[in-house]
Amino acid sequence: MIDVKNLSFVYSPKTPFTTQALYDINLQIETGDFFGIIGSTGAGKSTLVSHFNALTRVQKNSGTVLVDDIDLSAKKIDLKKLRAKVGMVFQYPEHQLFDDTVEKDVMFGPKNLGLPVEEQKERARQAIELVGLDFNEIAQRSPFELSGGQKRRVALAGVLAMRPEILVLDEPTAGLDPVGKRDIMQLVVHAKEMCPTVVMISHNMDEIAEYCNKIAVLNRGRVMGVFSPRELFGSEELLFKCGVELPLVTELAVRLYNNGIDIDRTVLTEDELVRELMKVGGHA
Amino acid sequence: MPFLEFSNVDYSYPSGDNDYIQALRAVSLSVERGEFVALVGCNGSGKSTFARLANGLLLPDGGAVTVDGMNTADKSKLYDIRKKIGVVFQNPDNQMVTTIVEDDVAFGPENLGLPPNEIRERVDWALDCVGMREYATSGPFRLSGGQKQRVAIAGVLAIKPELMILDEATGMLDPDGRKEVLNVVKKLNREENMAVVMITHFMEEAAEADRIIILERGAVVANGGKELFQSPEIFTHAGLDLPVYVRVAQKLKAGGIDIGCPLSVDEFVAAAKGALGKKEGGA
Repeated sequence: MIDVKNLSFVYSPKTPFTTQALYDINLQIETGDFFGIIGSTGAGKSTLVSHFNALTRVQKNSGTVLVDDIDLSAKKIDLKKLRAKVGMVFQYPEHQLFDDTVEKDVMFGPKNLGLPVEEQKERARQAIELVGLDFNEIAQRSPFELSGGQKRRVALAGVLAMRPEILVLDEPTAGLDPVGKRDIMQLVVHAKEMCPTVVMISHNMDEIAEYCNKIAVLNRGRVMGVFSPRELFGSEELLFKCGVELPLVTELAVRLYNNGIDIDRTVLTEDELVRELMKVGGHA
Repeated sequence: MPFLEFSNVDYSYPSGDNDYIQALRAVSLSVERGEFVALVGCNGSGKSTFARLANGLLLPDGGAVTVDGMNTADKSKLYDIRKKIGVVFQNPDNQMVTTIVEDDVAFGPENLGLPPNEIRERVDWALDCVGMREYATSGPFRLSGGQKQRVAIAGVLAIKPELMILDEATGMLDPDGRKEVLNVVKKLNREENMAVVMITHFMEEAAEADRIIILERGAVVANGGKELFQSPEIFTHAGLDLPVYVRVAQKLKAGGIDIGCPLSVDEFVAAAKGALGKKEGGA
């Protein structure tokens, strides 16, 4: 699990450009969570998660982050162990593809773990298949001649080949078309069987509502709270306080309810809304 | 004469050795002054290639692109063309040219040779439009992805183009930020008659446009008004979703409740009230 205690972070400390990105963050992410992190642009979401694999170091006297038994505020961190445990998929991960074949690109992580070549190859093959690509067809091709959706899958495979226990995704579906978005989310759900804990930053409230069991709301570097989807999207007061938008279906349900159509206004998926409306229409 | 016109445009780019991918095939379409057009299509359908051809970043292999009567293949006209068409791309990191936010936004107006006080006015106005005035003197590299995107949009707004193309430019913004930017763009469209081509994956946004153009594997497969949403198969065939309002309406129809084809929350609420009746006076 990930245990964040009193974490603060300042960019460019002791310079005229100093900006505080995080203020006294406290949260726990447990094994098995599908943990959503939301908040407007500049809220500190990416800064927070970049601590989880020590890409951003915990600053002095600025709190602690524990990933299982690894203390990330310690002076010396076993980075190899940490990065085998926490897999990080950044925004537009396809921009980080670099090798001349898909197979080599995906093997890069396992290679850095110091695994024997055979094991590297085996892991790469499994990861490429896990993200729904045909290994024989794609392994020897250049990642740069693939389509956008395929590139993103290869990038994801590169992280999954490390067999992380915690998968951190920063806006995994940004820039994809609706079908691509759904494919990637299906794939994350599939990957979660192997990698039990998923942390996802997203601006897409529909995805957050559908997949996450816990949601942390960040605002200007502070945690406004951690909620279940129904708690958060069912409370107008909370939404207003946290400055969170409703998923489109929930917004629709609220508007219908406010217009005198007697339905449950906390629905989170299209099918729930349809069911509610069918009930009102006497077709249930 | 249309403001932007694509006549029979072909474009392909190299892929690997001796291989080409045809990104656009025989595309003919036009955008009128003051129009609000949504361009949709799945990844790889040629949308971004369209944006790059529209302002002469790319030149067609076949056919012609004209902007206000000027052919983009005419090098002497490129400067004038880029004054008229502003494009905001998907990834803001590739669009920042300076180390201070307001300098970045001033880059366009400076290149237009405007007087300093007018540049100042435009920069402040553009930063206000996207809600980034308080970051005017920050370094762009210190901003979050979404904030950078707002600055990139401000940089194009400051040129006050006659046509603005947003190539999934709101894809990385939070929902609030997306609404804000869209409202600014809509306002400029309404009040200043700025034409807009919005390339988007959000079908709810596309449903608000005057006209919708659907690209599928480099070809225009549909080009029409909101009535297109009455034919959902056009969208699904092109690998696209329908707006959530239409999807829910379709499922209701399958269950025996017909509320037509609503394209916004308001239309949905009105139609549902009509079909389901307002029970007991309501809230």
